[in-house]
Amino acid sequence: MMDANVFVVTSGKGGVGKTTTTANIGAALAKLGKQVVLVDADIGLRNLDLVLGLEKRIVYDVVDVIEGRCQPRQALIKDKRIAGLYLLPAAQTKEKESVSESQMEHMTHALAGQFDAVLIDCPAGIEHGFRNAIAGASQAVVVTMPEVAAIRDADRILGMLGSRRARVLINRIRPEMVKSGDMLSVDDVREILGREILGIVPDDEEIIDATNRGQPVVLDGARRLGAVYSTIGRRLLGEDIPYVELPNDGLWLQLRKMMAGLR
Amino acid sequence: MRNELDQQLASAASEAQAAAQTLDGSAVAPSRNEPDTAHPSASVSPQAPAEERPRHRCVELGRAVVITSGKGGVGKTTVTANLGTALADAGKRVVVVDADVGLRNLDVVMGLENRIRKHSLDVIEGHASLDEALVRDRVRKMLALLPAAQNRDKDEIAPEAMRALVAELQERFDFVLIDCPAGIEQGFRNAVAGAQEAIIVTTPEVSAVRDADRVAGLLSGAIAPKLILNRIRPQLVKRGSMLNVDDVLDILRLELIGVVPDDKDVIVATNRGAPVVDIAGSETGAAFRRIAARMLGEALPIPALSDRSPWFARMFASLPFGKRSSTRGS
Repeated sequence: MMDANVFVVTSGKGGVGKTTTTANIGAALAKLGKQVVLVDADIGLRNLDLVLGLEKRIVYDVVDVIEGRCQPRQALIKDKRIAGLYLLPAAQTKEKESVSESQMEHMTHALAGQFDAVLIDCPAGIEHGFRNAIAGASQAVVVTMPEVAAIRDADRILGMLGSRRARVLINRIRPEMVKSGDMLSVDDVREILGREILGIVPDDEEIIDATNRGQPVVLDGARRLGAVYSTIGRRLLGEDIPYVELPNDGLWLQLRKMMAGLR
Repeated sequence: MRNELDQQLASAASEAQAAAQTLDGSAVAPSRNEPDTAHPSASVSPQAPAEERPRHRCVELGRAVVITSGKGGVGKTTVTANLGTALADAGKRVVVVDADVGLRNLDVVMGLENRIRKHSLDVIEGHASLDEALVRDRVRKMLALLPAAQNRDKDEIAPEAMRALVAELQERFDFVLIDCPAGIEQGFRNAVAGAQEAIIVTTPEVSAVRDADRVAGLLSGAIAPKLILNRIRPQLVKRGSMLNVDDVLDILRLELIGVVPDDKDVIVATNRGAPVVDIAGSETGAAFRRIAARMLGEALPIPALSDRSPWFARMFASLPFGKRSSTRGS
């Protein structure tokens, strides 16, 4: 029961940007007019609510839905800044073991019928929480960074995703470090992982600021990365679009060249 | 055979002693783990031939410290590798234990991935001896790695087995540093099982701080954790885009053992499999050395970043951490 419109955002290694990616792709898709629900599967260590700035509005959570204490509709938090974006928060005081894979699959299947896209924010690691998060997803976004540890974990995760369509998002690339030979390049990563690259997101301090403020960069027109996530969102839903034109300052110019090399 | 590694460690002690002198400016104190006074000739000091050491020593156990965080990617593995290196340079016998079964990375960060023959699960299941599984550092003979299994599950180890393994390591090393996996599942429970001390690593981001708070809550009672604030970017703190040290301490109320600046030195070092403490002039490396010295009891002051960001203070007053931000600082 894996629905075509259920995507898991995963990585193996923590701290590579799963939650930020989920929030921003979700917001970007909603901005494109899609009905999107973001599911926080990190039970016990939820953070998607913080990144979206919705932490104060949580009443029910995913475990309440699964255990039948509320209707799915009651647990969904509607983002007031943008139409069509919803969050299904994780429980904070429960354990990941309190949910089974089949329960999770059942729930994402129900959501898949009501939304254009269901994005599941996977916890770090490959334990029970990971297995729950991928249970109902037919597609995966594997977030990685140009760092040996993150690449190794991404490789391990790709091997655990079975028949799911998995695409790689390279996060936090620093063009100046790639140039100086201190960081793996996009080509290096693609070669090692041997998978389709969904997109490339440069390392940018505005992400830290946006995360701490609970304001996804996509929702702020002044932010540089908004366009990057929009393109990634459209590719995710199957559009075949070339890599986006980026603002023409030094750092971005280099990145654009790198992206051109990808095609 | 069993004492092979001990012998290697003993022969390395003199080199480490020299390194320790440069670290704290004085001669290294006798290791707290050296054999008791009943066997003065059986010292692990460089003068004593290893053969004279008794097989069944009655030794004081080394310190087992788990490095944990809740959130992934905040720098647990980097902290473990660098504290291990710095402690070894201070003349301590150190083993770093990778508890991230299935997603091991400590070996890569230390540049030892090609030397792994056996792993901790082999030892636990009796397929290998500890000596066969321990990988000695390329440079520091006082430093060893106990790697994790890569093709196994964390559920295959029980906390009791981990506790026994750590206890055995504590007999042979002054420090057992355990690199905990992200999350709070079985891998976390295993990693903390054998530890008597804990270091929580966090970064100045709300999500990392929230997860650190959750982990501190899970540890409290058993262990009083200390805190490393990693990846501080002073210019971001100044601009008010990043939490500062006081903000984080207000929320977490843990004893701070160090603040480590964000530095691309770490990425460079990680990709090369060399510790950042070895990069000359690296502020990050210096910060790790100071933390190691504090773990050994030195009272080094922690440089404070005094800029305070008012809107963070306001925001945290309303966040559901269960703890209010205090009125300290201004």
